[in-house]
Amino acid sequence: MKKEMFISDSDLRALAQELLTAGTAVIAPVQKKLPLGERIEYARVQSPDQLVFNQAVSANSLKEFIMPPTVAILCWKQRKAEVELQEIPRDPTPQVVIGAHPCDAAALAVVDRVMDWDYHDELWFDRRNQTTILSLACTAGDGTCFCTAVGLAPDSSRGADILLLPTANGFRAEVMTDKGEKLVKAHIPRFKDLENQQPLPALEAAKKKIAANLRMDSKAIQGLLEKGFEHELWKTLGLACHGCGGCAQVCPTCHCFDIVDEPEGVDQGTRRRNWDTCQTAKFTLHGSGHNPRADQNCRIRQRLMHKFFIYPEKFQEVLCTGCGRCARVCPGGMDLPEVLKMLTAKAAL
Amino acid sequence: MQALRTLARKLLTEGTVQVVIGYENGPRGARPTFVTLPEEAERLVFTPGCVQNLASYLSPRRNHLRALGKPAVVVKGCDAKAVAGLIRESQLKRENVVLIGVRCGGVVRDPALFEKLSLDTVADRCGDCDNREPKLVDHLLGELPPAPPASTRMSERMARLEAMSHEERFAFWTEQMERCVRCHACREVCPLCFCVRCLADKTMPQWIESSAHARGNLAWHFTHAMHLAGRCVGCGECQRVCPADIPLSLLNRKMAQIAAQRFGYKVCDDPQVPAPIGAFRKEDEQEFIR
Repeated sequence: MKKEMFISDSDLRALAQELLTAGTAVIAPVQKKLPLGERIEYARVQSPDQLVFNQAVSANSLKEFIMPPTVAILCWKQRKAEVELQEIPRDPTPQVVIGAHPCDAAALAVVDRVMDWDYHDELWFDRRNQTTILSLACTAGDGTCFCTAVGLAPDSSRGADILLLPTANGFRAEVMTDKGEKLVKAHIPRFKDLENQQPLPALEAAKKKIAANLRMDSKAIQGLLEKGFEHELWKTLGLACHGCGGCAQVCPTCHCFDIVDEPEGVDQGTRRRNWDTCQTAKFTLHGSGHNPRADQNCRIRQRLMHKFFIYPEKFQEVLCTGCGRCARVCPGGMDLPEVLKMLTAKAAL
Repeated sequence: MQALRTLARKLLTEGTVQVVIGYENGPRGARPTFVTLPEEAERLVFTPGCVQNLASYLSPRRNHLRALGKPAVVVKGCDAKAVAGLIRESQLKRENVVLIGVRCGGVVRDPALFEKLSLDTVADRCGDCDNREPKLVDHLLGELPPAPPASTRMSERMARLEAMSHEERFAFWTEQMERCVRCHACREVCPLCFCVRCLADKTMPQWIESSAHARGNLAWHFTHAMHLAGRCVGCGECQRVCPADIPLSLLNRKMAQIAAQRFGYKVCDDPQVPAPIGAFRKEDEQEFIR
């Protein structure tokens, strides 16, 4: 289905304006001013001037726009023994992401697998189906990125409806899916014929740089983990971990959630679905007080097992797209690329 | 640096402690490390990159560290205040830890980005440090370095908040709290948040809603700030870890100011000095009792 076109920077911004005018939500990396300084993060934009491309790896992932930190599932009202349930209408606004990092677009495609496995998760796919993603080949990676080590690349089209490759004058747009095709058709004057527009050499340099950050053997790590539940490395691997779960919050593929009932007054309330993480003690705490994951070493083991053994065993791919955010955010200085390098070395023994 | 390594090796060889909690250089700058073998003491460092508060690892919630045996911990002046807090509040016995104090000339905001201290790179909290030479120590290492670059970022932010009307300030905090995803990472890294079961995790009844909505977020951050009033040592770990970059230090700094004004109390590294939350004095103002 791949079809190649060209779009200039100004036409891309004009496209964003057309979407905004039509009432579509536009999500893009923006330079956000905060009390503590500025940072690049994905946000819903109000104006195409806000879009920034390839400045730095966004601080947050795209996850929150498909699976927000909290979502209301239903409301209840109670009169004595009678309980009345009210469904919450689910009609998310159509949204277009402009300038997604390839690691974040890929992450959504990876998580799709589990969300459509034994149960089709409506809350996930409601938003997912209403989302069109324009990935932008990434030249913003730093020394902690490792997408190439998990089978992706700074110009991977995985999860993208349209892949944008930066050229000297704008972007080469590779249309990957029906959703992408539909978007192009609706805004056809913005797209031009591709006339010998070559991707910038910076992209090749970025690929080489990221590839040098980490070489790992996913298959070998999977084998090591499969046999290594009682491996002695688990006795010390989690020492620096505070169990804060910061890694899971910024992770584009971590998708665990909790379901809570929150009373609003005496006889009514709302059931909500909230982000959760296996890195906290509460995640596995039983009602009896027993906790099968008794300490932080066990919880770190769980995180690595899920991403690099359990998920690949079920879905033939790791639950990690190499964005490096977990390492950037960790207050204890734990570094996933370093751990993966160590696991690869251990597996080779 | 060599003195630190020599001491660590000695403590481990003699069996005085079973683990030395200090700093090493990692892929993203200085970071915590846990040395259990004397020959591994060589990897210990102390540099302006050592921003982390290692006292958090002494909290009773860190059962995976307790299992290693008696620890020695490298403490800066601010970290020593947190250790004093744990002792003051009966979470740690003084004789169960060896404290390796280091004289400090300030640390950087982010060890992954900066190595050297400057007005731009110094951590916000270091600008008005009052404890560059910790007193709650068993060993004190290094010469006293020059004072940290006198950053005024923290006081400027505080002044901007103070200058706001109530409505403006409420709008400011509303905007900040809207960014919260309720991961509670701020609590997990806090050296003084040692409760095994936090009020915010209780569900029968649920005192604080756990969802990331305006009501729940406000309830959580107000409760957290209140529980840290007169206890927070200002290490800034909560703010450093926050995935949404919420300026939590401003809330905690304000609570510290109020504790100082109302109770004449300033957090220090002497565990014998009682904190307002754990002591009653007749001269305390009681105008709320009528």
